[in-house]
Amino acid sequence: MRLLLVEDDRLLADGLASQLEKAGFSVDITRTAREAMILGVQEDYKAGVLDLGLPDGNGLDVLRKWRINKATFPVLILTARGDWQDKVNGLKAGADDYLAKPFQTEELIARLNAIVRRSEGRVQLSVSAGGFELDENRQCLKDPNGTEHSLTGTEFRLLRCLMSRPGHIFSKEHLMEQLYNLNENPNENIIEAYVRRLRKLVGVETITTRRGQGYLFNDTV
Amino acid sequence: MILFRKPISVKRALMTLLLPACISLMVTAWFIHGLLLERMSQEFLESRLKDEVAFLEHHIRQANGQIDRIQTGDYFEKVFHHPFAIQSPTQTIISPQSWHPLLSPLLKFDQQDSIQTHTVGPDNASFNILIYRKSFIINDMPITLIVSEDMRALQNSQTELHTWTAIVSILLILLLAGVIWVGITLSMRPVVSLQTALKKLQSGEISRINVQTPEEFQPLVQQLNQVLDSLDQRLERSREALANLSHSIKTPIAAVRQVLEDTNRPLDNNLRHEMGSRLGDIDRQLEAEMRRSRFAGPQLGKSAGPVKQARDLLWMLGRLYPEKSFELSTSLTEESRWPIEEHDLNEILGNLLDNAGKWATECIELSLEQHNDLAQITVTDDGAGVAESERIHLGQRGLRLDEQTPGHGLGLAIVHQIVARYGGQVFFSSGSKGGLKVLIEISI
Repeated sequence: MRLLLVEDDRLLADGLASQLEKAGFSVDITRTAREAMILGVQEDYKAGVLDLGLPDGNGLDVLRKWRINKATFPVLILTARGDWQDKVNGLKAGADDYLAKPFQTEELIARLNAIVRRSEGRVQLSVSAGGFELDENRQCLKDPNGTEHSLTGTEFRLLRCLMSRPGHIFSKEHLMEQLYNLNENPNENIIEAYVRRLRKLVGVETITTRRGQGYLFNDTV
Repeated sequence: MILFRKPISVKRALMTLLLPACISLMVTAWFIHGLLLERMSQEFLESRLKDEVAFLEHHIRQANGQIDRIQTGDYFEKVFHHPFAIQSPTQTIISPQSWHPLLSPLLKFDQQDSIQTHTVGPDNASFNILIYRKSFIINDMPITLIVSEDMRALQNSQTELHTWTAIVSILLILLLAGVIWVGITLSMRPVVSLQTALKKLQSGEISRINVQTPEEFQPLVQQLNQVLDSLDQRLERSREALANLSHSIKTPIAAVRQVLEDTNRPLDNNLRHEMGSRLGDIDRQLEAEMRRSRFAGPQLGKSAGPVKQARDLLWMLGRLYPEKSFELSTSLTEESRWPIEEHDLNEILGNLLDNAGKWATECIELSLEQHNDLAQITVTDDGAGVAESERIHLGQRGLRLDEQTPGHGLGLAIVHQIVARYGGQVFFSSGSKGGLKVLIEISI
C-alpha cells in the first residue's frame, strides 16, 4: 500500500517511515511542499501523512492543491498546534483526520488504517441539482457561486434526499425517516425547522412546500 | 489611540471647516446687504418723486392749468430740491434753468405715466437720473409733468456705505477667525496634555495616564489604562508561566542529555523507556502551559459567532466520526454574537462535542440558546451516560471514567476552567435517551 509521508524533520521522517513499512505501507518521503504537490498529483497513493509546518510552504496549501487536482487519497495531517480552529481548517482543506504531535506510532497507524478503510470503495460522489452540488464524502454543499457550506448530519441527509430527485414531492413522513434525533418522538415541526435552515442556504424558492403533500427541490429556479 | 492615527489634526480640520464657512457667510451677507440697500433707496426715491408729482399736479389743478401762475420764483426749488419740468401746449417750465438741456429732450417722449432711469449728459461725463413722468388733462389742456432726481449723489453715498460694510465685514471675519482659533486651542489643550502624557508613557516616565481630561476623553483614558493594566498582568503571567515551564522541563532535558552523552553506558530497553517517559513529561508540561496561555477569559472587544463556530465544529466532528450524527438546534441566527473570546468558545464547544462523540452510539445534539442575558450551551449524547454518583468526578483533571475510551480526560477539565473564567456554571444530567447531558450557563 503506497503512502506519501511529507515531513521535514529527517529524524522523525526516517523513524516513522521504518515503522510504517513494518506496518505494511510502502513509504515515499518528501521534505518540501513543492515536491509534495507534484508527487501527490502524479503518483497513485493509497494514503498520505502530511505535516503542516513545512520549510517552503504551508501543508494546507499542499492539501488544497492535491484536492483541486483530484488527488483523492485519504490524508492524515500532523500538527504541533492542536487547537480546534486548526483542526477545522485542516478538515475544510480536505484532510480526513488529524493527529497532534507528539503522538504514539501505534495510534498513527491505527488512524491511518481507519481512514484507508473508510476511503476504500469510495468514489467521488456528488449530487447536483439546480446549480448546487452536494459532496457526499465531505458532507458539504457548494452553491452556484462556488462557496462551500458545511452541513450537519440531518441537514445533509434531508438535502441529499430532496436533491436526489428534483421536482419530486417528498412527504413529511418520508423525510422524517432521515432524522436520527435524540427526541423520543420526532414531530413534523422539526422537519419544518430543518427546511427553514436549508432554505437559508439554497434560497426560499428552491425548496418548495406543497401544502398537505410535502416538499420538493425545485431545480428550475 | 484612534484620535492620533487620523491623518489630519482636529485643529486643522476645524479651522479648514469653520473659516471658509465664515468667510462665505460674510460675503453672502455683504452681497445681500448691497441688494437690499439699492432696492430700499430706489423705492424711497420713487415714492418721493411720486409725492412731488402729486403736489405739483395739485397746484396746477388749483391754478386751473395756468402753469405760469405757479411759477413762483424759487418756491418749488426750496421745497423740493428736485429739478422738474412742466409742459403745456403753450408753455414749458423747467426749473432750475441749468437742467433745461437735460429735461427738455425727455419731455418729447409721449409715454404715459412712468418711472424710468435715463443716462444723460455729455458722453465723457454721463450720469443716471431717475425721472417720473405724468401726463394729465386740465380744461382740455394736456399737461406733462416730469420730476427728476440726480442719482449721482445717492449712488456715491450708497457705494460709500457698502464699502464700509465690506471693511467692517473683513474686520469681523478676522475677529471671528481669532475667536475660533482661540476657542479651538483652548478646547484642545487637554488633548495636548494627553499627548504629552502619552509621550511620557512611551518613554517610561509614567506608567499610567493620570491627567484631567474633558468628559469626551474620559472613556478613552479609562480604556487606555485598562489595556495597560491587562498588558501588565499578562506580561507578569506569561513571565511566571515561562519561568515555571523552563524550571520543570530543564530537569528532564538534563537527564536525557546526560544519558546520551555517556558513551560507556549501554542504551538498554529500560533506559529507553526511562528517557521516553522524561520526554513525555516535557510534552505534558508544554501542553498544559500552552492551554493555560490560550485561555483568554472575558476580554473587551472580543466576541464570537456561536452558530457559525458550532456549525464548523459539528461538521468537522461529523467527518471524524462518520457513523455518528452531530446535530444543531438553535433559535439564534447566524449573525448573533456572544461576548466570549472566539478561541475560548471553540475550546468549550470542541471539547464537549468531542467527548460526546466518543461516547455516543448514534447521535449528538448541540443546542445553543439565549434567554435575556444568559447564554446556554447544551450537549446531549445517546451513549451509556454516567452514573449519578460518579458525575461529581466529571471534569476533575486526569480522571478517565472509562479507560477504554481514548482521550486525555482533560477535555472537561478545560471546559470547567474556561467556564469559571467567565463566571459561568456547568451542570450534568441524564439525557432523554440515557446519555449524558451537559449544560453550560454563562451570563453575557
